[in-house]
Amino acid sequence: MALQITVRECGDVIILDLRGRSTIDGESELLGRHLRKLVDNDVRKLVLNLADLTKIDSSGISIIVGTCAALRRRGGDLRLLCPSGRVLDVLTVVRLLEVIPSFEDEAQALGSFGPRGYFATS
Amino acid sequence: MASPCNSAVAQRIALVVLSDGEVDELLTDVLSKEGWSIQRVVDNHEALLLASTTPFDLIITGGKTRALEDVELFRKIRSSRPHTRMIILTDKWVPGDVITAMREGAFSYFSAPFEASELAAMVHAAMAAPCWDDGIEVLAGTPTWVRLAARCDLATANRLIQFLHGFKDPSIAEADREAVATAFSEILINSMEHGGHFDPSQYVEISFVRMSRAVVCRVKDPGEGFSLKELHHAAVNSPAGDPFSHVAVREAQGLRPGGFGLLLAKKLVDELIYSEHGNDVLLVKYIDPFGSQVT
Repeated sequence: MALQITVRECGDVIILDLRGRSTIDGESELLGRHLRKLVDNDVRKLVLNLADLTKIDSSGISIIVGTCAALRRRGGDLRLLCPSGRVLDVLTVVRLLEVIPSFEDEAQALGSFGPRGYFATS
Repeated sequence: MASPCNSAVAQRIALVVLSDGEVDELLTDVLSKEGWSIQRVVDNHEALLLASTTPFDLIITGGKTRALEDVELFRKIRSSRPHTRMIILTDKWVPGDVITAMREGAFSYFSAPFEASELAAMVHAAMAAPCWDDGIEVLAGTPTWVRLAARCDLATANRLIQFLHGFKDPSIAEADREAVATAFSEILINSMEHGGHFDPSQYVEISFVRMSRAVVCRVKDPGEGFSLKELHHAAVNSPAGDPFSHVAVREAQGLRPGGFGLLLAKKLVDELIYSEHGNDVLLVKYIDPFGSQVT
């Protein structure tokens, strides 16, 4: 399945529900375009819901890391929600979860954003 | 070596041999959404009869036949319609069948169980990509050692990765197969991008070797190589306390976000060994008969 992206708003947080694959054969580029547009439109708090993401490769990881870096430069931040299976394995081996907070519960992910972003370091 | 065929066809037609209901539904959904016309037959005999009178752009076989029977059908159809594409679906993996399918020029190969999303993606690729017939060339092949040449383009890389997923060797734990396929995928795409510059006139050389206690993949690209130690823009060289320090290096150099492929590959296999010039790499995964875990 090609990547399907649903965008939701919860207060000042934007949640992207990802379904399918974020891999180099096209889908990661789609995710990158969505995220760049949101960051360019001054979104500062983002949650990526990975519950239905079935596969990710280095291209998808790069998009997530690049987005996180862009958000933090602007005083915002990124959260991951419910990575599982192969996606969780891949995110673990590249140590992404040491740098980007991940949650199993959406309310906790939303609550982790402080007024200026939980990890808004630079 | 590369020669695209003429793909200027007004209404493209797919021939689908009956599979189970779920697969048939998926294929109908994917093909009809793209405006393809679909004809269905119950078996390969009917498929051959119909294909002798009607030119099909894509043929998708049914899961109930063996891959070798599908390859035989493909061979007969291709003798009169050389640019027809075939995606082989089979319920039963048999050693050597994947190599035969590649050698005969099948577009892709799926042995059950497979993910519907992977099949849908490959059908999309078969519909969308230019009609190349020589992207993957089997130079030599036995069930335990196959040598290939693969054209440096993303569509060919994706086809090759799916063929690798088709090796459903039950003596290798699924987690190990998945780890090798993912690591190979990352290295292959790196080689095609950085060594071959995604130039379709260039080819990478690939070997897969199945040993009794290990799987080895070799990828040699046509580039001049590199020094792994000097890749400061790659995550593989980021220090333990700052796993993404390479991100700042990439930004300073004006590179797109990336640099995780080598790290991912290195973590998923037991050994990743580059040649002196850096354009030839070995991936080694030792086989654990009791299953494996990502570390």
